[in-house]
Amino acid sequence: MSPPKMPTLEEFRARAAQTGMPLTDEDIEHLHKGYVGLLEQMQRIPTHWAWAAEPPQVFRADE
Amino acid sequence: MSDLTLLGIAEAGRLLTRGDITATALTESFLKRIEAVDHKLASYITVTADMARTGARQADLELKGGVRRGPMHGIPVALKDIYETAGVRTTGHSALRKDYVPTIDAETVRRLKDAGAVILGKLGTHEFANGAMTPDQPFPAVRNPWNIDYQPGGSSSGSGAAVAAQLCMGAMGSDTGGSIRNPAGFCGTAGIKPTYGLVSRCGIFPLSFSLDTAGPLAWTMEDCALMLDVLAGHDPNDQGSARAPKVDYGAACDRPIKGLRIALARSWYEGAASVTPEMKTAIDEAVRVLKDLGATVDEVVFPDIRDYHICGRVIITVEAHAIHRQEVIETPEKFGYTTRRRFQLGAFFTAEQYISALRFRRQLTLDTRAAMRGYDLVLTANHWGAPDKFEEPQPIFHFFGKPSLTMPFNVTGQPAATICCGFGRDGFPLSFQLAGRAFDEASVFAAGSAYERATPWRSRRPAL
Repeated sequence: MSPPKMPTLEEFRARAAQTGMPLTDEDIEHLHKGYVGLLEQMQRIPTHWAWAAEPPQVFRADE
Repeated sequence: MSDLTLLGIAEAGRLLTRGDITATALTESFLKRIEAVDHKLASYITVTADMARTGARQADLELKGGVRRGPMHGIPVALKDIYETAGVRTTGHSALRKDYVPTIDAETVRRLKDAGAVILGKLGTHEFANGAMTPDQPFPAVRNPWNIDYQPGGSSSGSGAAVAAQLCMGAMGSDTGGSIRNPAGFCGTAGIKPTYGLVSRCGIFPLSFSLDTAGPLAWTMEDCALMLDVLAGHDPNDQGSARAPKVDYGAACDRPIKGLRIALARSWYEGAASVTPEMKTAIDEAVRVLKDLGATVDEVVFPDIRDYHICGRVIITVEAHAIHRQEVIETPEKFGYTTRRRFQLGAFFTAEQYISALRFRRQLTLDTRAAMRGYDLVLTANHWGAPDKFEEPQPIFHFFGKPSLTMPFNVTGQPAATICCGFGRDGFPLSFQLAGRAFDEASVFAAGSAYERATPWRSRRPAL
């Protein structure tokens, strides 16, 4: 599987403008680092799932 | 005993029942110690001295009249300041709630009061159980009682510090990614994250609905068990609440553990990342003690610790944003600088990414259960090593670096306890985790209590 494309700071800034949140430049820089960092780690999460993988609506530890 | 603040809950309960001590004397001992010591730790945000004295007098009247409500009757406890308390401010350690006074108690607080517990006050927390403690917040950061130049862990920081420093007999915490077990480990207390659904979250500030759990920290596993005895039970006002059979957790602490089967998840803490050599030695020694007590311990391969870590982080990030979105938009400046960014980040994830994390969670839960087949408990490390220095700048995001050792049992929903297993050369406590099958807290208490009775670690307290 190819790694996901990481957004540049400018691409991220454009996306941030769509969130409805008032963000400072400093916020956006921190959030960009956080987003890219989490996205890298999320490569561990499979992208294709069987129908039976659907989670229950309310989580139960003993389901 | 001259210093009543050194009593355990079980022992204090026996003395109260026999009339050898009063709840008033017990409560006054704690209030006096809070006055004398807590200015060094800042574990309390609010001390409810008048309410505590009234509660203690009521307990004494009842006990004198032969009415004993149970093991928590007359026992002084404190609450993480995300638990709503009628008539007492509940701040979440945040400027956003610094003057918020609820009109009704959280279900857990109601249960504690019904059981006769005496509420000493409200304890410091990472802001809304997520952000770090930063100087831009209206209440001081809590310090570690073993060395006040260090952090106590979190997010139930005040709960861990107050229990270790003899400022309450038990404290309520909450655990979404390790927030009970982290401060329990760094402060050397016991603590248990119950099975998801066992204890009501109604009236507790939420962080992540599908991961939040509420549970106790206390000096021993037996004390945690006695608290859980009054906390556990179905609540129709909590959508995640389960209908689990009633269990006597206090009695479970006396169960023999001969024949108990324990799976050792060593690969989680001795792999690409490793605990400190002292922690490793202490855990190896804990394994030896449990074997001597009659348990069997085998190394078992579980899913990669990083899988649980990222799965839990995505779920928390997205759900926390959904919960706090309105205030993040309307009054972002009122959050601490770490909390604000942690709550903003969830806006950037898609529905597909969130659902994938939920699917991954289900897979990890099933894979963990499969790995545990034939075993009653999982034993693993609780934290990587010593706590951070108090003055260490707080990272904006805490998911970089080593994966969380506590997150696996948030992801699977299993009960998991922290048990002290010694002290490092630096004086800080060492600890390990014991996790059980869903709703089998009893086996966790049996093994944890047997270990505590067989080792000397509960006799050492921080000097303040």
